[in-house]
Amino acid sequence: MKVKNLLLNIAPLIGLLILIAGYFVIGRINDINVAYGLKTIVNQSVVVAVVATGAVFIYTLGAFDISLGASTAVSALMAGIVYLKTESVGLMFLTAVCVAVLVSLLNSVLAGVFHLPVFVTTIAMLSVLNALALLLLNLGGTGSEIKVPQAAVKSLDTLWFKLLVLGAYFLFCFFLFDFTPIGRRQKFLGGNPLCAKLTGISLNRYSVIAFVICGLGVGLGAFLSIVYAPTLTRNTASSVGMDVIIAIVFGGMPVSGGARSRIYAAVIGAFSMSFLSQIMVMLNLNSGVGQMVKAAIFLLVVFIAAGERKMKTLPR
Amino acid sequence: MKKKLATKVLSLILTGIMMASVTACGSGADSSSAGSSATQTVADPASDAGTAESTDAAPAEAAVPGEPFKIGVLVSDATSAEALGRRHYLEDYIAKAYNMVFVYSDELGDSAGEKAAIETMITNNCKAILSESSFDRPAQIEQCEAAGVYYAVGSGALDAEQYETYKGYTYYVGSVGPSDATEFETGYQMAKYYLDQGVRNFAIFGGATVYRNSMHVNRVAGMLKAMVDAGGEGASYQGMTDPGAIIGQLMADGEAKTGAIGDVTLSGYLGGYDMDDAWFAKGAEMVQAPGVEVLLAVGSGSDFFGTATNGTDVKIASVDAYAQDYYEAMANGSLDYLAGKFSAYDGPVFMALYRAVNGNPLRDPEGNAPAFDIGYWISTSAEGCKEMLDLDGDIDHPVWTMEELNALYDADYAAFEAFVGDYAFDRIR
Amino acid sequence: MNRGRLSLGKRIFGTLAIPLFAFGIIFLVCAVRGVVLFETTRNWMAFFRATASVMLTTFALSINLNSGRFDFSIGSVALLSSVISSTLALWLDLPAGGMLLICILSGAVLGCISGGIYVISKLPPIIVSLGVTLLFEGAAFVLTDGYGVSFVTKAKLTGFPGVRNYLLVILVALAIMILIFDHTKFGYEYKALLSGQSVSVNMGIREIPNAIACYMIAGSLMGVVGFLSATNTGTIQMALNFGSIGVMFTAFLPMFIGGFIGRFSNDKLGYLLGGMIAAGISLMYAKLQMDSSVQQIVTALILVVFLIYLNNENKLVELRMLKARKTAKHRG
Repeated sequence: MKVKNLLLNIAPLIGLLILIAGYFVIGRINDINVAYGLKTIVNQSVVVAVVATGAVFIYTLGAFDISLGASTAVSALMAGIVYLKTESVGLMFLTAVCVAVLVSLLNSVLAGVFHLPVFVTTIAMLSVLNALALLLLNLGGTGSEIKVPQAAVKSLDTLWFKLLVLGAYFLFCFFLFDFTPIGRRQKFLGGNPLCAKLTGISLNRYSVIAFVICGLGVGLGAFLSIVYAPTLTRNTASSVGMDVIIAIVFGGMPVSGGARSRIYAAVIGAFSMSFLSQIMVMLNLNSGVGQMVKAAIFLLVVFIAAGERKMKTLPR
Repeated sequence: MKKKLATKVLSLILTGIMMASVTACGSGADSSSAGSSATQTVADPASDAGTAESTDAAPAEAAVPGEPFKIGVLVSDATSAEALGRRHYLEDYIAKAYNMVFVYSDELGDSAGEKAAIETMITNNCKAILSESSFDRPAQIEQCEAAGVYYAVGSGALDAEQYETYKGYTYYVGSVGPSDATEFETGYQMAKYYLDQGVRNFAIFGGATVYRNSMHVNRVAGMLKAMVDAGGEGASYQGMTDPGAIIGQLMADGEAKTGAIGDVTLSGYLGGYDMDDAWFAKGAEMVQAPGVEVLLAVGSGSDFFGTATNGTDVKIASVDAYAQDYYEAMANGSLDYLAGKFSAYDGPVFMALYRAVNGNPLRDPEGNAPAFDIGYWISTSAEGCKEMLDLDGDIDHPVWTMEELNALYDADYAAFEAFVGDYAFDRIR
Repeated sequence: MNRGRLSLGKRIFGTLAIPLFAFGIIFLVCAVRGVVLFETTRNWMAFFRATASVMLTTFALSINLNSGRFDFSIGSVALLSSVISSTLALWLDLPAGGMLLICILSGAVLGCISGGIYVISKLPPIIVSLGVTLLFEGAAFVLTDGYGVSFVTKAKLTGFPGVRNYLLVILVALAIMILIFDHTKFGYEYKALLSGQSVSVNMGIREIPNAIACYMIAGSLMGVVGFLSATNTGTIQMALNFGSIGVMFTAFLPMFIGGFIGRFSNDKLGYLLGGMIAAGISLMYAKLQMDSSVQQIVTALILVVFLIYLNNENKLVELRMLKARKTAKHRG
């Protein structure tokens, strides 16, 4: 039984290892540029991995934030505007983080103070942020783009900087999640909110903490987005929102949150998706077929990782 | 027991889907794409020799020196008739004629997508990039230069400032496509065609003008300038009559302002490609506004607003490409004027890349990368459209054949330029 | 709130208050800007088309969401069913009615696939819907080779739009929904499962067939939405990587408005009225040529304010009672 549980727990990791192996085998057959390919995978995973790692705190509570991509975009655009005004990379970084944390706080305040369901709050916030992004492009840019000079961020556009940011943020979250009462209480709240409330744990307080930590990740993700592609448009980070959800679930995180939540799920999921995408390209799959295969593998991995389902009723 | 069975059934279904998908892919990956930054490889002639043999004008090996290689194609539009036509030519003619492999990107939406797609293409050993996506061309060129991968702009051009910066780069091969001046002229001639007939009330679909896309901005500016010229004494657009000023204003506003231009009226304007219900409702409102006689579209007007003009006298003029749908639209009256690209547009730029990768780069007399200008074929009747469509649609004998392109392999700059400039329908027919 | 305890006057007022208020504001804004909302027949057509489309999407979303099943895939069902039906209609030279029928059937089959994966895998519905969305978007792309479908010149299909046809769709769909959910055994079981899942299952209600039927009904409704959209524009654009989920977001405001109105009359009627409000706002935006960013913000703010009211109305009642007590105390 213990072995079975262990296998289920590490199923997403095994999935990632299989994908890595598949990548190298198929890459060798196709004679791809492996070194460049690995750099590509890091570049294409790191923003989602950082944002998703923070989002684990929200998911652990059993909540769901659909506005993370839009929040990343707005933070990046605001940061871009600040750079154009000040020409300071430091201020740009601070702006990205502060705006993201503020947006996150607004989400949690709306949800906490006005008793709105978190998911519905974030749906409304998604519309507001998307519209705000368009306004920012008009106010601070040319109307279609905000262009931070590439030279300003070129020195940061390295593999090591990105891995350093991801590593530092991951360790910070790992520490909070697994070695402080914050993580334990959040798991408790996600697993049994009523019982947690009766023991004196405040959902509002831990929601705010979760959103702030997530906001920090969004801010870092926004900064990394600028570093990677400093020409910001209405489509900047547009796919991050859904990629984060997919990555978290693919990494083995239960959507209902609770005790089985794992902080490393986001990183595993984000890298798994990137390896899978690269394999699709090497296999010459057209986009539609590739997406169908991705969907099937996604459902299969989540199905296996979810383990036995003994409930009499259907999950909701 | 039941549970185990259900588990097995689900696993089987999912595995089946995967197997079917992989099998489908094995039988020929040949479609376009949309979405994220991943890429897909298409048209590997080695695995499709039978088709190549049946195409009499598409021998398995080119009659020019050089080795076949992979070219990555960046596209920000994967589904329009224009994009599909060019893709058809590259995949189904050039790939077979020259043993090339074209790796198409998904439909790109921003500069991060462009960068990721180029990274994936380089990973997959593409030796050259043909870019039809313009979110951040300088970044693309810099990325390719750093990686030692040849880069060319297809069906478009760098702006003057960008060209000055990059014309001397080792891996920048050049561009073949309509210049801003040609785009301006295309819009101008379209509006003039109707103004000469006495039309005085227009609506404009400005497409990517809202994103300050210079191609679309120049087309709209051309239309407005034609209205200014025909609007009588003192006519101006927002107080401007100079093309440069009109372009600058459009770049600043991201849209054309409705109102009177002398005795010509611009009654409606719509931009963007939101494609949701609200957007289509705005489009219908625009073409159905009282008095509107003609919709001038920088893109495919009949595709987006054809149903909205059904039952009205409003005519539609489009800039797109020669496709069966547009011929049918012209035949049934829902399209009245078409300035279209032909599918072999990318032939010369392919040859420029082919030369560069094989160590025979084309440079102008000053040693810089070339920037060749090319225009549109224009039709104002179904018959004319059909003639052009028939000529353009024959993939066995395309507008620019392998024999003609082969002649460019050793051509000097002047000969290359003359070839590209000689694109008129009457000449090619 | 128990509808039976309310007087007829209160029920009528409760049902019509929000729509009347909303349309009052819409007409006022139009009047201030010197615009006539319903100027031509085509304006009425656009209004009823949007009403039908939003109402059907709201039905489809609410069927599963009210039961705690969040479904991202409804947009992809609309996309794929319209691709299947238009391809067949063009191939077999069918009229719009034939295409509509195929849309409904293919929507039901796609809903059945979605529901089937959910009940077999017993994964949370939101996860299943993510996978299914990717699957259906990919399938639509493969079926059309990524080109989408265009039938702008096929008058047989693009001739469907018309006030009468849209009204017919609205009334028939409303009647069927009321019939299925308020007057059949399936509907009673659906409501029982909705309010007490475990108790209902323990009582012998079969949850799995009920859930699959819900997905099939939602799928059929989205098939009609796909049909309305396709015949309106004559084109079907492809969407990948969750590009199809935008449709879902149009239904949230009408769903909450409908839910509120449902306390006074019938939630299905509420969804219709919610759809009419959304259509009215959409037409106003079009008439005023309002910028899309302003549209998005206004709509989102209306949603937030309405939700804040819904989730805090008991507190407002408490506040009013407290004030009344204080006033009485002062008078006393």
